[in-house]
Amino acid sequence: MIEGFDDFTIASTWERFISEIEGFCRLWFVDGHKNLLDKGAECLASRSNMYMIKCELKHGVKLYMMEYYFQIHGNDKAEQWDDDLHSLQLSFGVTEFLIIAPISASGVVLDAPESSKLLSAVAIALSNCGSNWPAFVPVHDPSRKAYIGIQNMGTTFTRRFDSDRIGSQVPVRLLHLEGLYELFVSKFALTSVDFSTNCFSVRSTMRLTYRTPYADDDDAESQDHINRESKGDAIEFNHIKKQWDDDCPWAEWYSSEDPIKGFELTAIWPKKMFEGSVEMAELENESPFDAEKWLLFPIISQNMIDDSIGKFGFASQLSHLVSALDISFEAKYLEDFVSAENSGSDISKISDCIPPPAVVDRILKEIFQNGVESWNSVDFEKRNSRFIKGAPLGSLFAEFCLHLLWLGNCNIRAIATLWIEFVREVRWCWEESQPLPKMSASSSIDLATCLVHQKLQMLAICIEKKNLLVHEPPSGVESEASSVNKVDLHDTFDQSQDMLSKTSLGTSSPPRLVVQHGAEESLACSQPHGTGYRDLLATDVKRKGSAGVVDSMMLLHSYQNMHSPIIQDAPPMTEDMHEERLRAAEAFGNLLSFSGQLERDILSSDMSAFKAANPDAVFEDFIRWHSPGDWESDEAEDKSIHDIVNSPKPNWPPKGRLSQRMAEHGSLWRQIWNTSPAIPSSEQRPLLDPIREGEKILHYLETLRPYQLLEQMICTSFRAAADILNQTKFGDFRLMKAKIDQLYCTLASTLKSLIANHVPDRVELIGDLKQLCVVFGHIEKLVILAASIHRKLFDAPRLSQAIFQDYFDFYLPKMGTGLASLCYDKVFNVKQVVKVHERDVIASLFPPPTASQSWRKVLSMGNLLFGHEPILREIIFSVYDNVSNGQYSGSNLLASMGDIETHRMYICGTSNDLRVALSVTSWD
Amino acid sequence: MDPSPSSQPEFDYLFKLLMIGDSGVGKSSLLLRFTSDSFEDLSPTIGVDFKVKMVTIGGKKLKLAIWDTAGQERFRTLTSSYYRGAQGIIMVYDVTRRDTFTNLSDVWAKEIDLYSTNQDCIKMLVGNKVDKEIERTVSKKEGIDFAREYGCLFLECSAKTRVNVEQCFEELVLKILETPSLLTEGSAGLKKNIFKQKPPPADASTSSCC
Repeated sequence: MIEGFDDFTIASTWERFISEIEGFCRLWFVDGHKNLLDKGAECLASRSNMYMIKCELKHGVKLYMMEYYFQIHGNDKAEQWDDDLHSLQLSFGVTEFLIIAPISASGVVLDAPESSKLLSAVAIALSNCGSNWPAFVPVHDPSRKAYIGIQNMGTTFTRRFDSDRIGSQVPVRLLHLEGLYELFVSKFALTSVDFSTNCFSVRSTMRLTYRTPYADDDDAESQDHINRESKGDAIEFNHIKKQWDDDCPWAEWYSSEDPIKGFELTAIWPKKMFEGSVEMAELENESPFDAEKWLLFPIISQNMIDDSIGKFGFASQLSHLVSALDISFEAKYLEDFVSAENSGSDISKISDCIPPPAVVDRILKEIFQNGVESWNSVDFEKRNSRFIKGAPLGSLFAEFCLHLLWLGNCNIRAIATLWIEFVREVRWCWEESQPLPKMSASSSIDLATCLVHQKLQMLAICIEKKNLLVHEPPSGVESEASSVNKVDLHDTFDQSQDMLSKTSLGTSSPPRLVVQHGAEESLACSQPHGTGYRDLLATDVKRKGSAGVVDSMMLLHSYQNMHSPIIQDAPPMTEDMHEERLRAAEAFGNLLSFSGQLERDILSSDMSAFKAANPDAVFEDFIRWHSPGDWESDEAEDKSIHDIVNSPKPNWPPKGRLSQRMAEHGSLWRQIWNTSPAIPSSEQRPLLDPIREGEKILHYLETLRPYQLLEQMICTSFRAAADILNQTKFGDFRLMKAKIDQLYCTLASTLKSLIANHVPDRVELIGDLKQLCVVFGHIEKLVILAASIHRKLFDAPRLSQAIFQDYFDFYLPKMGTGLASLCYDKVFNVKQVVKVHERDVIASLFPPPTASQSWRKVLSMGNLLFGHEPILREIIFSVYDNVSNGQYSGSNLLASMGDIETHRMYICGTSNDLRVALSVTSWD
Repeated sequence: MDPSPSSQPEFDYLFKLLMIGDSGVGKSSLLLRFTSDSFEDLSPTIGVDFKVKMVTIGGKKLKLAIWDTAGQERFRTLTSSYYRGAQGIIMVYDVTRRDTFTNLSDVWAKEIDLYSTNQDCIKMLVGNKVDKEIERTVSKKEGIDFAREYGCLFLECSAKTRVNVEQCFEELVLKILETPSLLTEGSAGLKKNIFKQKPPPADASTSSCC
C-alpha cells in the first residue's frame, strides 16, 4: 500500500535504516508463521513452541541483528506461569516480539542515545507496516540483562518496557513482599505517598521455587559438625557416609553417581487482589502448602546426556573387553600376552600392564570363594537371558568375567594372566577332587550356555563321579552319599512314569508264586530264564541294584514283582561332543539307520541293570518296563492289576505279546538283550569315564585360543551385566521393562553372530560390539535413573512414573543406533504437577535443615518450607484501568477490551539477585 | 550329496529339524518316507536316529539334518540335548491313539519350552496314520485347535500312503525361510548386520496355518 521510498540520494542513512527494517518486518508480517518455518525459522532449543527468524541490518558502519520470535500454536493467552515462556515473554507479558541488537562482543547497546534511537527506528518501521509487535533492545551491561522496549497498540496507546537487574546485595526493603508492592505502586501513584495510609488494589500472583538440599552439599567440616552433634548415634553418621546405591544390584561392582541431584519444587499462588502492603506482608507468612499448585522437577545429572564426561558402569568396561577381543585375534596362545619378552608383531605394542600377583591372588580368592550358588535358582533369571549364550549369573565363569571387567580396565594381558591362574586353580580342584565352587553337579548340561561353562559343569560332574569311584568300596555297596543321590534321581524318573508305589512292597509272597508257576507255561514266549520261583531266598540274594518294586507289574515267567533297576545316568555331553557325534552321524548319513554306539551302550546298560534287578526276567519284561507301547495286552491290564492287589486270586497270566514292530523287526533290541550280562549299574563300566573326560576338559581350558576365550567372556559378561541390571527394583515403569526386554533381544541376536563358527569381518564385528556397548550404556543409565527416581519417590508411584516417562521421552532420541553419540543441545525442562495427596511425600524430600545449615543461611524471604527458603521468588503485579469511556471510543480495540492492564511488573529474585521488568501502557 | 569340488558351498542353508512324540507314533516311518520314499515296518528307535536330505525349496538349496528321537521316556533326558539349535521341531502324534495326542501338550510342549535354545524356532504339529480313518480317535479339529493355541503349523499325514508327507517338511522349511533370525544361523557363510535389520518383534508368536 505504501510505495517504497527509493530515492536514496536524498534519504539519510537513518531513513534508509528504517526502510530496511520495514522491509524485513513487512516480509515477515506477510509471510505468516507457517511460511517462515519453511524459510528456515529455527526452533529454540529449550522451548518447544518458540521459533525465531533473523536478519542482519546495516546502519552506517554498524551492523545490527534483528530477530523475530513467534509461536506456532497460537495460545495468545498463555498461562502466566507457563514453563515454556521465553524470559522476555515472562517479564513483559508479551507473546511475539522483535529484538534488535548490535553485532558486537557484548551484544548490547551501551550508550543511551543510541538505544532510544534504535528503538524509535524500529517503532517507526513497525507502525509503517501497521504491525503492533513489541520490540526490544538490550541495553547497559550484558550481566544486567536489561532491556528497553516499545509497542504500538492501535493509534492511541503505547506500551513501554523497561527491565533491569541488581546483581549484588539487594536492599532489605526489596527482599520483602511489602517492599516490592510499594515499588510497584510507586510506578503509577503520581506522587510519593504514604503507603501505610493509601491503598491501591493490585493483582498479584507468585511463583516460588524450592530446591531439595544436596546430599553432598555438606563439606567435611559440616559433616564433622554433625558427627559431633550426634555423638553416640553412630547409625546416623553411617547413613551419611553410605552411597545412595549401596543396596542396588550393581553396587557389588561399582558405585554410580546418583543421576538425580535433587528436585525443584515450584509452588504457584494464583492471581489475587491485594489491597495494601499489610496484606502483602501477610502473604509472606504463608507456607507452600497454601499454594494452589505444585510442580516437581528433577535435577538430573549432566552425565546422563553428556558423553564427554566419560563413560561409566558396565558399558564402559564391556567396551574395554571388546577392545581386548580385537587384540586377542593377534596371538595364538594366551601365554603370549603374559610373557613380557615376547616380541610378537603387535603384541609388544600393548602397553597395558599386568596386574601385580597380590591383586591376582586376591581376585582369585574372591572368585573361588565358596558362595551360595545362586544361578540354579531360576526365579529372577528371565527366559530372555537364556538366549544369550553365556554362563549364567553367579556361576564360576560368570564370576570370573565380572571380576575381570573391573581389573585394570580388563586389558588383554590382565585377562590372560588371570585366566592362566584361574585354570591352574580349576586343575587344583580336579587333582584334589575338590568340588568346584559356584558350580552345581547336576546331571544335565545346559547347552544354552557358553562352552566354557558347559565344560566346567561337566568337570563338576566328573569330579563328583571321580570321588565316587575313589570312595566307593569295590563290593558294590554304595556309599551313603551316592546312593542317596542315585535314588533321588531315580525317584524323579519313576515318579514321572507314575509306577513306583511303596504299597506293593508286600505283594511278593510264596502262595502267589505257586500260581505263577502254572502261568508260566501258557505264555507265548518260550525263553525260560532263572529258577527263582523255586527258591525265593536265592532270588533275593541274586537280586542286585533294585530301586524298588514297580507298582503292579509282575514278571511274566516267574510271577515275581518286577523291580525297577538303578540305572546309570545318560552321560552328559557338552555341545562340542554333540557336534562330534553329528559329524560322525553325517559320515554314516547314507546308511539306512544310524544308531550310535552311545545309544546302544545306554540301552545295553539299562538291560544289564534290569537283568540284575530281576534275575528271572525275560526280554518281554524289559520291553514292558522300558517301552510299554511295544507290549500289546489283550485285556485291560490295569484292571487285572487292581485285582491282583485287591484279591488273592488274580487273573494271571495277562495275555499279550510284543508289538509287531518289536517282534518282527526288533532283532537289534533282542540281540542287545541277549548279549547284555546281568550286572547292576554300580558294577558296570560307567557310561561316562570321569577321569578321561575330566582330563579332556582341562586340556580344553589350558589350550583355549585367546579369541575363543574372549568371545565367550563377552557373551557371558553382557548376559551377566544385563541380568544384574534387570534385578534393579524400579517399580512399575513399563517403558523401562520394555527397553530391557528389547536389550535382551538385541544382545541375543548380535552375540549370536559372534558365536557362529564363521568369523566375519573383524572390523565389522568389533564395530557391532562397540555399538552394542553404546546401546547397553543407554539402558544402564536409564535403569540407574529409574532406580533413583523410584526410591526417592517411593510413596508417590504415579508421580515417579510420570517423571520417568518425561525423561524417557526426552532421552529417547538420543538412543539412535549411530555409533557417534549425538550432540544433545536440548535441555530437559518438563515439570510434573504434584497432586494434593502427593504433597506430603514431596515435602518429605525437604528435611528440616540441620543447625549448621540454618546458622549459615540468612533467612530473609519468608514462605519457608520446613525451614528452607525458596531459591527463587517470582511475582507479577498488575493493575487494570477502565479506559473504554467515551473519550477513547475511537479505538475499537479498547472498546472491546474494557479493562486494560496499565502497569505490569515482573520481579524475580533472591536476596542477592533481583530482576525487575516493568511495562506501562500510556495514552498521550 | 558328494561334496562338490567348487569353492562355493553346496547348499544355501543348513537346517536342523527335530522330530519328537510318543513311542510308536511313526516318527521314523515319516522320516523314512520323506528321505527314501519307502515304507516298511521299523524297529523301535534306539535313542536317536539321524538322516540328511538335500532339497530345493523356495528356490534355495537346502541341507536338512533331521534328528529322529526315541519316544521312550528312558531316552528323554538324552533327547533334551537335541533341541539345541533346532530351527524346526516336528511334534508327531498318532490320530488313532488319543494318549499320544494329549501327551503332546502334557509332556512334549513343555520339553520344547524347557530345552529349545532358539527363540523363534518353528513348531509343527503332525497327526500321522490318517490311513486308518476308521480307528481315528483324534479329530482334525482338535489338532487345529491345539496348533492354534500353541502357535504352530499343522498337518495330518500318513507315512504309509504318502499323503502329505512331502508337504509336511516343505511347509516347515518354507516357514523357516521366512524367519530372518533362523536364516542367519542356518546360513552357510552369509553374514548379516543386525543393526541394519529391524529388531525382532518382542513376542510375535508364529502364526498358525491351518
